[in-house]
Amino acid sequence: MAKVTVDGRTVEVPGTANVLEACRAAGVDVPHFCYHPRLSIVGQCRMCMVEIEGVPKIQASCTVPVRDGMVVLASSEKALAARNATMEFLLINHPLDCPICDQAGECKLQDNAVAAGLPVSRTVEPRRQFPGYDRTSIGPHVIADMTRCIQCTRCIRFCSEIAGTGELTFIERGGHTIVWTHEGKELDNAWSGCAADVCPVGALTTKEFRFRKRVWWLDKAKSVCDGCEIGCNISIEHRDRAVYRFLPRVNLAVNDFWMCDHGRFRAEELNGNDFTRPVLRKAGTARETHWGEALDAVKAAVDAAVAKDPASVLVLGSARLSTEESWLLAQLFKGTVGAPQVEFHADLGPERRIKNPSVPGGWLVGKEAAPNSRGAEAAGVARAGKGSALARLLDGSYTPEVLYIADAEFTSRASDPAFILALCRAKTLVVHGRRTNLLTDAADVLLPVASLAGKEGTFVNVLGLVQRFQLAIVPPPIVRTDLEVLLHLGKRWGVFDTQWTAKSVFELMKGTVPGYAGLGWDSAAVAGNEPTVSPTSAYDVLLERRLSNPAEILAAAVAEVAGGEK
Amino acid sequence: MSDFQPVLSARLGKKNSCALATYVADGGYASWKKVLAGSKTGEWTPAKVTDLVKASGLRGRGGAGFPTGMKWTFVPSREKRGEKPVYLLCNADESEPGTFKDRILIEKDPHQILEGMMLASFALDVKHAYIYIRGEMVHGAETLNAAIDEAYAAGLLGTNVLGSGLDLDITVHRGAGAYICGEETALIESLEGKRGHPRIKPPFPAVSGVWDAPTVVNNVETLCCVKHILDRGADWFKGIGRNERNTGPKLYCVSGHVEKPGVYEAPMGIPFRDLLAMCGGMKGGRKVKAVIPGGSSAPMLTGDEMMDVPLDFDGVAAAKSMLGSAAIIVMDETTDIPKAVTNIAKFYAHESCGQCTPCREGTPWLHKMLKRIVNGQGKKADVEMLLQVAGQMGNGMTICVFADAAIAPVLSAIPKFREEFEAYVSKSATPGFDQPAAAGITSKVAERTAEGMHS
Repeated sequence: MAKVTVDGRTVEVPGTANVLEACRAAGVDVPHFCYHPRLSIVGQCRMCMVEIEGVPKIQASCTVPVRDGMVVLASSEKALAARNATMEFLLINHPLDCPICDQAGECKLQDNAVAAGLPVSRTVEPRRQFPGYDRTSIGPHVIADMTRCIQCTRCIRFCSEIAGTGELTFIERGGHTIVWTHEGKELDNAWSGCAADVCPVGALTTKEFRFRKRVWWLDKAKSVCDGCEIGCNISIEHRDRAVYRFLPRVNLAVNDFWMCDHGRFRAEELNGNDFTRPVLRKAGTARETHWGEALDAVKAAVDAAVAKDPASVLVLGSARLSTEESWLLAQLFKGTVGAPQVEFHADLGPERRIKNPSVPGGWLVGKEAAPNSRGAEAAGVARAGKGSALARLLDGSYTPEVLYIADAEFTSRASDPAFILALCRAKTLVVHGRRTNLLTDAADVLLPVASLAGKEGTFVNVLGLVQRFQLAIVPPPIVRTDLEVLLHLGKRWGVFDTQWTAKSVFELMKGTVPGYAGLGWDSAAVAGNEPTVSPTSAYDVLLERRLSNPAEILAAAVAEVAGGEK
Repeated sequence: MSDFQPVLSARLGKKNSCALATYVADGGYASWKKVLAGSKTGEWTPAKVTDLVKASGLRGRGGAGFPTGMKWTFVPSREKRGEKPVYLLCNADESEPGTFKDRILIEKDPHQILEGMMLASFALDVKHAYIYIRGEMVHGAETLNAAIDEAYAAGLLGTNVLGSGLDLDITVHRGAGAYICGEETALIESLEGKRGHPRIKPPFPAVSGVWDAPTVVNNVETLCCVKHILDRGADWFKGIGRNERNTGPKLYCVSGHVEKPGVYEAPMGIPFRDLLAMCGGMKGGRKVKAVIPGGSSAPMLTGDEMMDVPLDFDGVAAAKSMLGSAAIIVMDETTDIPKAVTNIAKFYAHESCGQCTPCREGTPWLHKMLKRIVNGQGKKADVEMLLQVAGQMGNGMTICVFADAAIAPVLSAIPKFREEFEAYVSKSATPGFDQPAAAGITSKVAERTAEGMHS
């Protein structure tokens, strides 16, 4: 550890830290562009200039390792003049297109221009243009505009150091330097959206979000990606009941600062609700109905079947349901109704990976395509393996009276006709559905449910971590969450209270569900980090947490210094 | 001084000067053979060679004038560096405008360089040395490769050189012609196959250079000097030159408005006046208006300032410029200084590697402003702004000293020839538009941000 004094505030930082990190730890936010805690230090934006006592020349703070007893003048006249100079240099060629730039509002250049720039421009020279390298697609998701680029190389370093694919490079030199893909290559790695995230300006933007919404209008909800079992922490960015994008939310134990494109670009898929009312189908004729009639029909069918044979009811949960929902499903059918066959199936692959230095091997791997198989198992829903009711149903040796499917998208095979035909052998098919697929078309009772953005609960990820996702947008009227559907259904057997929420179910179940004991719904471990204002400096969340109580930190630092002197 | 005999350039005019046979006939490779033979008896050790170079007072001929022997001692000892090899890189990326001394050594006397490299490799325990040669010097690269082939054939390179048990390989690596690759860390990056971007220092190359191994980068002329120090001793070398700190023979590249421009060898510290006389004086007998004494990155001096300056590292530094690569660009009274400065600024705008913001953005800005001024579209405030913009590019603002080199001509020429710049501006077709007094704004902003910083 090294004691470093920044503008009169002394902090203790690890000996491996650099001066920029020490400044930030001391609560002095030194503006910067090229520094990123997960990328190598290049020291080339020259924005984080500070004075260091005993060093004659001004220094880029990110390039200088801390030394015990170092005294840093981060806000001296010389340091501010140097930063003003860098801002001026960056702005002389930067286009004045903030009004049409998607990055506006979460742009480091804009922020630093306001904080450390000159109020007027001194240049009258024509601004640099890059014909052919502006507003050009460089990959399936990313559009590059080199007139906005400030050559910080974060994206280049992201692709070579995090993704390990190295599609991007500098081309040309000096004032003509641009960042582009290598000849004949595309920026098409599995995390290309993160390259746009780390871009401090609007040089890299994603096609999916481009021109869709001003970022300052977006509300943020803490959620968890349901694209695979890794469970990347995300922020669902939404406005007026519409989801616009996902951004990764920092979780050093799980997704670090990143998320994959597969998960990221699922965002707008959450918006659609094909069904606004429950649907009953009798003798091939479908009609919309109200929840009362639909749920009564479900109860009647289940009761009749159980009376004949409890094994004639098959309940298929899903690894896409929250643990709370799975728990209600198991409690209701296995406990109250007395139908023991409550199973789930989760698709395997394709494999997703997230770079995380805290994981052995450096990569967190998600093999299952659903977020919560561990939670489902913990809640008492059995994994459908060999000899399971689902397997017997599919091989034709078993035909249930009632097949209750709590997630119409529980497998990618839900659009496979042969698969659906096998399921349709059940006399009554009950399906929770949101988007039309073959399964919802075949359902005798279709119960319309909300997407991930419209509900809350917890998932248990590949590492066994319980992670909570929050409500982002209220689902359309009449559409219910899976949890609400199960509560209303359970009420018909007199067991659940429709006033329960995901939180109250969490409290009810946590004593009995493995892995949930002692957890708090609102605890930091379960709720995760807050989303940051900008994806560009998502790591600020770590700083914010440290700075949440500067007085306390100062007192601790003072105490440490005093203790050291004794 | 008058009895000074050329040392480095002694063989340049000879017939077949590149051939091994003529080099050996002139006493070449005697030192290499002597050292190798002595290494077995313990008469010659690496430390002894290093001490000799240290004692000679040899300072690097590439530009910075850093004592060569001291640079060598920065390489960690074998215990400290472990299994890592040490690399010697000969910096033949001569590209400073006005400099052409290394090229003539490469093209006319390659064995002199090779012998210098061999001796330096012995001193530094180097098994593989590289010559990083500028891409444009195709002929030079061919000459060097031919010389290396001859040396291998004669057993002067390769495994178990001359039965000494020592191995040494030398490889020529051609650059792609970027000026910045003459900067030693950019040269290392380029040799590794990457873009020629200078590295953040520390670590210095002596500790972690090419492929993370300890690396010494020496200029062509420096390595040639090493050969002659081994040939004739440190005391002989020290006897040449103005004083203890500026020793040895020196190649001066004189260009510009002199009668006979070219490479001249003289003792270190020859007064400019004498060197000018060697070149046959000024063309047409005109007056010296300005001199750039060390390549385009050295601050410009006026003719009057220059005349009695001793041309060595300390002498030129005392005149507030630098000897650099001893590329002396002489400009007579017909020279249009703003145009000359614009030309130099164009070079630096073209050659900036693009890494650091102040240099990447500042060098083209300076060039654009200068171009506007000499095109008659300058404004009164532009001259002051040139100084201000240049003033905020250097002195630690960038990773390497390229920006400092780029601003030197501007920062030196404007105060010395201000009236010429102002003449352009006052003739300008676009008068008016008084820029807000830029200096005032800067300081006000500094105050404002200082207050608002933590609020």
